[in-house]
Amino acid sequence: MNIVVCIKQTPDPEHFSKITIDPTRGTIQREGIPSVINPLDRHALEEGLRLREKFSGKVTAISMGPPQAREVLELALAMGVDEAILLCDKAFAGADTLATAYPLAGAIKKCGTIDLVICGNMSVDGATGQVGPQLAELLDIPHITFVSNVEFRGRRSLVVKRELEYGYLKTEVELPVLLCVVKSINEYRLPTVIGIMEAMRKEIKTWAACDIEATSETIGLAGSPTVVTNIYERKVERKREILKGTPEEMARQTAAKLHELGVL
Amino acid sequence: MDFQLTREQQMLKDMVRDFAEKEIAPKIPSYEEPEGDFPFEFQRRMGELGLIGLIAPKQYGGNELGHVAQVIATEEIARVYAPFGSHTRGFMLTTYLISRYGTEEQKKKYVPRLVKGEIAGCMTLTEPTGGSDMLAIQTKAVREGSVYVVNGRKTMISRYTANDIFATTTMTGERATTTLIAEKGMPGLTLGRRDNFIGCMTRAYPCGEVIFDNVRIPVENRIGEEGKGLGPIVSTVAAIGRIGGAAIALGIAQSAFEVAAKYAKERHLYGKPLAELQALRFWLAEMDLKIRAARLSLYYAAWLLDQGKSPRETAKEGCGAKYLCSKTAIDACLKTIELLGGYGTTPEFGVITQFKTALDTVNAAGSDQVMLQTISSELVGG
Repeated sequence: MNIVVCIKQTPDPEHFSKITIDPTRGTIQREGIPSVINPLDRHALEEGLRLREKFSGKVTAISMGPPQAREVLELALAMGVDEAILLCDKAFAGADTLATAYPLAGAIKKCGTIDLVICGNMSVDGATGQVGPQLAELLDIPHITFVSNVEFRGRRSLVVKRELEYGYLKTEVELPVLLCVVKSINEYRLPTVIGIMEAMRKEIKTWAACDIEATSETIGLAGSPTVVTNIYERKVERKREILKGTPEEMARQTAAKLHELGVL
Repeated sequence: MDFQLTREQQMLKDMVRDFAEKEIAPKIPSYEEPEGDFPFEFQRRMGELGLIGLIAPKQYGGNELGHVAQVIATEEIARVYAPFGSHTRGFMLTTYLISRYGTEEQKKKYVPRLVKGEIAGCMTLTEPTGGSDMLAIQTKAVREGSVYVVNGRKTMISRYTANDIFATTTMTGERATTTLIAEKGMPGLTLGRRDNFIGCMTRAYPCGEVIFDNVRIPVENRIGEEGKGLGPIVSTVAAIGRIGGAAIALGIAQSAFEVAAKYAKERHLYGKPLAELQALRFWLAEMDLKIRAARLSLYYAAWLLDQGKSPRETAKEGCGAKYLCSKTAIDACLKTIELLGGYGTTPEFGVITQFKTALDTVNAAGSDQVMLQTISSELVGG
């Protein structure tokens, strides 16, 4: 089974409180915030590795980002993927979700015949959940989001459990398919010391726009139909009112207020 | 000069932190129960992840990542749960001793299984009459043909109920120390009473006596030459015991600081966070300074070993690191307990759990005074 897992480097959610917004420039300030693999992408890698262990084959991890994004690919190699590819080119900068999906699709096509593409359901920073479905469209394969379980019936047919708000949906699908997975799908493995050491010795292929035959109008800012017009910090003001009187009076006032607000 | 961890070391640090926070932290209340089985799952996971093999040769299943890696792993585990930091050191002690000073047969027999966490060993040194003064021990080994007959009583033996092999120091003559590997199940080898040290009253950290009553240990289980068992022991205690002890203390200090800093920002007093009170913010600054100084000292000592310096050549640096880290751990815990007020000694905040191990760590692998004695000998002789 030939599996590709798409992964992304994001700011560490543990440090999100330190991220600030420059209101005049409309930019996010993330200096000094450590970077980690997008948390759901670790589950995507784990699912890919488990399926390879079950059916044999190959798992390739692909990430698009600046040179330091190779760190998440090193982690993927340490966890056990067979190959790692970094899509790195200044021409990719400023990409929205579609202009991210294009290079990923180009890279996956270059990898040959693929049975399964796995992504995290969304990234912890952008949180759009769009790259996976857009990538599937570009690859012309079906996709299923919010995947919490994968069960194979034979080698090409699988039943996928999809988490819904008030329940779940089971869908039967044939390979090839793209799955966007949620946290509950598995417990991801930790890399071993030997895995880490081997990862340091493995090659991470770096592909630029020309390597995947991406045209300039499909990538980077030019290839991004969406434009961020403004970034601002949402202020939440709480209403405050101090009640006065005896405890009984204040209790009555509280009950009246709650009625007024429709709570009671 | 490069103060950066290598990418490999950074990934190791991330992995061990993940392991400690996800797999150890949730179970601490259970580990702190006074009765129950030793948590062997920790030993097995340490083996699976390759953390016991950090200082063992590749040919015997280790990965030779080195002493800085040893310090990183021990510190990160101790940061979350100090008793397991102590076990991390303990697992490595016997592994290092045998893989460095054992015979080829001993290395093949024990090291691969130690590294995988299938078995565990301990250094069986301390007696009521001697610990750091290794010539004061009274356990005797008398050679009878192809075996040594061992009689004596050892105390303060970590994981005494959970070990499979015991690297035991014995006297085979006047000022002649011989180290022998005793195995669990050998006739005459029994467990004595459990020690009641403050950090050893949980199921996660049984510590107690091991008694040798005419235990017949084959000659092939001897580490090094007869009567010259002290050298390997001293080197192992220096390379793993002291450096590891310092790493445990550093992890404890770091955890105390993190609790203190978080609490100081969240807890309000007189309408503002504790962290805005100058007296307390200066405490935090001092704690951080001391921790960073201790860390530099320890990483330098470990780095020297990785550069090929012998434990003997790095005695001053190793003892200095252990001294600084121990002092820092005790200080950080006490300051944090004070800063937390009434919550300081509740197990929910974790500091008191860490502090118990800090108190024991101060004396393990040599007290502060022994460290100063060694350092001063290096400086002015004598």
